Amino acid sequence: MIAPVNFKSGVPVYLQIVQQVKAASASGTLRAGDALPSVRALAEELRINRNTAARAYSALETEGIIETRPGAGCFLKAQGASPLRKTVRSERLGAELDAVIVQAHHLQIADDELKTLFTERLEAFRQRQAANHETQV
Amino acid sequence: MSTPALEIQDLVLRYGRTEALHGLSLTVEPGQCYGFFGRNGAGKTTTIKCLLNLLRPQLGTVRVFGLDPRRQEAEVKSRLAYVPDFVAFYPWMSVRESLDYQASFRQRWNRDLEAILLKQFQLDPAAPTTGLSKGQRTQLALIGAIAAEPELLVLDEPTSGLDPLVRREFIQTVIGAYQDAAPGQRTVFVSTHLITEFEGLIDRFTIVDQGKAVLTANADEARAQFRRLSAEFAGDPPPESDFADAKSARLRGRTLELIVNGNGDLLLERLRARQPLSVTVEALTLEEIFLQTVR
Repeated sequence: MIAPVNFKSGVPVYLQIVQQVKAASASGTLRAGDALPSVRALAEELRINRNTAARAYSALETEGIIETRPGAGCFLKAQGASPLRKTVRSERLGAELDAVIVQAHHLQIADDELKTLFTERLEAFRQRQAANHETQV
Repeated sequence: MSTPALEIQDLVLRYGRTEALHGLSLTVEPGQCYGFFGRNGAGKTTTIKCLLNLLRPQLGTVRVFGLDPRRQEAEVKSRLAYVPDFVAFYPWMSVRESLDYQASFRQRWNRDLEAILLKQFQLDPAAPTTGLSKGQRTQLALIGAIAAEPELLVLDEPTSGLDPLVRREFIQTVIGAYQDAAPGQRTVFVSTHLITEFEGLIDRFTIVDQGKAVLTANADEARAQFRRLSAEFAGDPPPESDFADAKSARLRGRTLELIVNGNGDLLLERLRARQPLSVTVEALTLEEIFLQTVR
């Protein structure tokens, strides 16, 4: 489920795992109630320290993406249960969008082109999501 | 803050006229997997010997769990396990006897963990230790070290001279099994010059060169700080001298390659202002950071 981490990306390893779980959850590859590998299994699979794996899970738990059931492990939570206030959520997403806008500027992509691209990607994502749900039903 | 698992301050040690350590300092918090990187002869083994009271530094302090290894040697040694780079066993003992012998000195011994790892490494308990390969000897020593469930595991070049495919896996297995049993309390201090194998395992590290700590950082922070910027130009690239504040600048045909430490964003802006065809940015691996730091 979780792809190898990339040490050359400059993104902290725990954050790469957080992002991967979020992406899998958003696209429907992982669904509410699905079990995540144990901290140790994840660490061994990705060849990383257990501290890093544990840190990723605790960040995901704080954000309300997963929950820990004592003795049973970590599970994906039902969506829409984010404990973060709406303003905090928009702020976080806003920062990520800013980064995309900056990148677009450097790649000399015009505003209209960027908007079109955004719509295209969003549609492609929804299609993938729908396909994932169909295969699981 | 809890007592550090290991605290070294301003350590100075001379062998005759040669100064092996001059002013080395580092702190390892409990639960960390700490890398101690240096070339051969940088002072790694000398430092480890000071922790075990095998060598006495002329100046500076060493504390293990807050204790002084010179005065409280027995307590320090009962709470840590040390695997040296060259492991020796009594030649008349089998694998089983050798582990039992080590267990007889220990207050704790985890038989289940011992059995699991013997099986995983496919070590035959009845085999004589004289017939073991170098890799198997290291595996046996590691099993003995972690079966004792110490609070601190000190590994000196645990993977040197071993088959590269095997070593990655077993180091991962051993450290995973050791730390998973009591997260946050089991500390690993590993000295090595083969850094690639430990890339994902290290939380924090110190690079030692000529008896001094030259860089101490968290692995993620170091990878975010040290970056390689490669810019490809249509015409002649700007001269290297325009980027003198980079850690290094090198021309390769029409590509200018900068290694940056911390000031990457600034240099990236300046590089982009020269209108290159493309710019790629990647983090350096711990091994590359090491090579940049000690050269």
